[in-house]
Amino acid sequence: MRHVKMRVRGEGLGVRRSATVIGLLLISMLLPALGASAAEMTLGDPRQMTFPLVEFTPPEPERVVLDNGMVVYFLEDHELPLVSITAIMRTGSWLDPAEKIGLASVTGSVMRTGGGGGLSSKQVDEELEQFAGEVNISIGRQSGSASLDVLSKDVKRGLQIFAGLIRTPAFEPGRVELAKLQAIEGIRRRQDNPGSIVGREFMKLLYGADHPTARESSIASVTRITRDDLAAFHQKTIHPNGLMLGVTGDFDKPAMLALLREVFGDWKRGEVPVLTIPDVPQSRTAKPVVRFVNKDTSQTHLRIGHLSIKENDPDYVALAIANDILGGSSFRSRLFNDVRTKQGLAYSVGSRLNTGMHDQGVWLMRAETKLPSTQEVITRFIANMERMRTEWVTDHELAEAKEAYVNSFVFSFASSSAIVGRMITLEYDGLPKDFLQQLRARVIALTKEEIFAAAKKHFNPERLTIVAVGAGEALPKLLSGFGEVKEIKLAPES
Amino acid sequence: MKNRLRLRLREDSIRSGRGFLIFWVIFGLNLSLNLDLPHAASFGLADRVVEQKLTNGLTILMVERHQTPVVSLNMTFGVGGVNEQVGQTGLAHLYEHMAFKGTRTVGTKDYEKERPLLDEWYRVGTELEQRQRELARRSHEKPASQEDRAAIEKLQKRFTELQEQAGQYVAGNEMALLYQRHGGVGLNAATGKDLTRYMINLPANRLPLWAAIEADRMAYPVLREFYKERGVVMEERRLRNDDSANGLLYETFTSAAFRAHPYGIPTIGWESDILSLTPADTEAFFKAHYGPGNATIAIVGDINPKEVMTLIEQTFGKIPAAPPQPPLVTVEPPQRGERRVEVEFDAEPSVVIGFHKPALGHPDDYVFDVIDAVLSDGLTSRLYTSLIREKRIAASVSSDSNYPGVRSPNLFILSATPLAPHTTAEIEAAIYAEIERLKTEPVSAKELEKVLNNLDADLVRALRSNGGLASQLALYQTVAGDWRYALKARDKIAAVTTADIQRVAAEYFTKSNRTVATLVKKSGGKHVATAPLQEVAR
Repeated sequence: MRHVKMRVRGEGLGVRRSATVIGLLLISMLLPALGASAAEMTLGDPRQMTFPLVEFTPPEPERVVLDNGMVVYFLEDHELPLVSITAIMRTGSWLDPAEKIGLASVTGSVMRTGGGGGLSSKQVDEELEQFAGEVNISIGRQSGSASLDVLSKDVKRGLQIFAGLIRTPAFEPGRVELAKLQAIEGIRRRQDNPGSIVGREFMKLLYGADHPTARESSIASVTRITRDDLAAFHQKTIHPNGLMLGVTGDFDKPAMLALLREVFGDWKRGEVPVLTIPDVPQSRTAKPVVRFVNKDTSQTHLRIGHLSIKENDPDYVALAIANDILGGSSFRSRLFNDVRTKQGLAYSVGSRLNTGMHDQGVWLMRAETKLPSTQEVITRFIANMERMRTEWVTDHELAEAKEAYVNSFVFSFASSSAIVGRMITLEYDGLPKDFLQQLRARVIALTKEEIFAAAKKHFNPERLTIVAVGAGEALPKLLSGFGEVKEIKLAPES
Repeated sequence: MKNRLRLRLREDSIRSGRGFLIFWVIFGLNLSLNLDLPHAASFGLADRVVEQKLTNGLTILMVERHQTPVVSLNMTFGVGGVNEQVGQTGLAHLYEHMAFKGTRTVGTKDYEKERPLLDEWYRVGTELEQRQRELARRSHEKPASQEDRAAIEKLQKRFTELQEQAGQYVAGNEMALLYQRHGGVGLNAATGKDLTRYMINLPANRLPLWAAIEADRMAYPVLREFYKERGVVMEERRLRNDDSANGLLYETFTSAAFRAHPYGIPTIGWESDILSLTPADTEAFFKAHYGPGNATIAIVGDINPKEVMTLIEQTFGKIPAAPPQPPLVTVEPPQRGERRVEVEFDAEPSVVIGFHKPALGHPDDYVFDVIDAVLSDGLTSRLYTSLIREKRIAASVSSDSNYPGVRSPNLFILSATPLAPHTTAEIEAAIYAEIERLKTEPVSAKELEKVLNNLDADLVRALRSNGGLASQLALYQTVAGDWRYALKARDKIAAVTTADIQRVAAEYFTKSNRTVATLVKKSGGKHVATAPLQEVAR
């Protein structure tokens, strides 16, 4: 068996083989039966292969600030005759008044569907769809987003329509009413799916049901929302100096900049909301909690975890890799190998560390398993978590985690829109533009001791919240070994 | 609001995606040719695909894209749920899971020592399960004797010992580990009605790793950890079908619509069948369907096609040709009357309606693609406008012109969820009214122009992603025998007339040709059986 080493040249020209193999290239193209004497495949054992790191310098987007404070990133890419524009807006449902939860979300929806920029909703939809233009606008918990995707020949008209919807949405009353009806139907249907129930109840237990990160709209809260509320929310929160655009694709920068000035240039600055999410009171997060929801299902849908750190915490990188080894890395992780591969107890199993810059993160383990194996899965989850706190990870695990991170790093820059999208979100969160490169350097330098310390500090068995959705008559007994079990009774949503 | 002429395949995957909802895989058409757009030549796909065929029948499709030093690989086999025998449903999907267990090299610490243990373990396991089933079958007439129970206990003990011994030689998930170590992302596989696909994206210089692993897997897979993986598949079935309102609705709908053709069988398999599948069945399925002549590999990214072919000749080229697959013979007989089924579930109502229609490539198939777009693509489509915006009776509505597979005659389906307090009956009536309109009024020239404009734009958009392009090249090569299918289809779609639409609507959209399934809300009552004991024991 021969072991072929591969080498890449820096210019991004792709795979280059060492001289001996290149020597074979032409011959083999002419004679496909080359190597017929070898009964075995000749590349050798894939477990022994090594390769150099691919070298790649991603293109750098250009950043321009318009006079009214709007930030624009440009990255030309002329491979295809398409232009893609994405926007992020400093708004969000964290601004919803308590009695009108759902306001931000309905506002985003009707900005898209309710007409604007002097056009009726019907005109907007018909014109866009006739030239295959795509526009999306939505508002989430901590930001709003908008996008335009058009053939480059249609970019001017597309951008005029896009800017009209963002700057001067018409909020046609019929479309406001329709969006409210649709939102209410969504609420009525959210108890249909056990995965949705367990996810939402888990978040409400961690943060509290009224916290901006976990709170939910209700039929009553959506019913109270009026057209005037939408117009006022838009007026108050969406401003050019709170908006960042990323433009990628087949355009010429000076012409695009002129076009952007034409459609956005005379939009006046406003007072941009400063994203502030309250911390969760310590008292809430200190004790173990075990809850179940009765739903007629064959599996128990499980979430186990607790609140965690923000992304700017000094322990972030160590904890992220600890989580990767525990359950974050699919096939490679301990939870996948233990609960799925070795025991066959779940199809989808793992752990996640969800962190941001603005609110406390969440760390959780999750799986769905048939009712009779509920206890075993929870026990294995907790044992794996404890093991992270009592033993160092192995050299092999750490090496695998680092190699996977470093070698897949290139996929963070796989397209122009991914590159620009990342720049915008980093700036939105107040992070440096080389944040990913900094993370990478820290991952490379990470030690087992640091991972152990982070796991010990941030995986807390005495703070676990366990939520199970499944067979209500059997779950209390199955869960009783993990703490005092209480039922969450879901109110009917209609 | 995208993807005219879409192929939507229902697939079951080895790995759940983020949020575990890889449920529908949606393919927009991407392949561009004859576009009436400026600089069409500069991005036209037709000139960029390099097609090669090895003497063993393996087809290779390559597209160079040098923006980033990465490559997407998609290996698609022309095998799926339709190739299963009665009593063995779910076998194609179970094999796909087992294909991640490694080879004689990867996934083992010592194959020579492992092999006899695996052989004996699987013999014992098969006998144990046969005896258990036999005993369960006659338990009503004759209770198990002391002797029966002792024999089973002995087998169970031996089974457990062998499982443990064989397990000592397993290098768990080593294939996936290798890919991850080398920066691979998106490792997954999926099984549909007529095809099975294996996907990975890698840094471009790791192609030799991929070739070494995949050629080995195509030639010498070793089915390790069989019974545990079968348990994983059972959990997947519970998650996607038994505990999912939509999963159960579509399973029931599809089996009502097809009474003879295997399209009616859930790809993941019936519970009793999955639990009866054996290692020997799985091995035999591999031998019958996984030959190189039944495979297409699409490679898109930062590659040099000549160098790639050298690698492939050195690896896949060594695999001998295999005999052709046994042909499918069953043809669904014409439907002679409406079929209606209900599914009771603790969830809000919904409805799905299907009409039998011809397979991919039939002249009428292109007409259905246009009808699909006119009815449900975008906010200005007819069903969206009528049911959601004007009548306000639906929360969602969609259609699909190729369900649940594409190689055999299939279904045009429409599905919707009512907006309370409206009912599925009102939704049905409104959908039928729109369908009648297709029969009686010609579709406007403006609507047809919109369909074509969107199709052309989608052809360009789909070229953006290496993985998407690789997936579609391999898909059309497999189901249509030619990756150029989409290019040809675009021209056939452009030629569809308003008279064609009226004729096709009148011919196929009839009451006797339709199947209707409704999800009916039922809270409280228990439907779900707990897991069979024999599985729990494992």
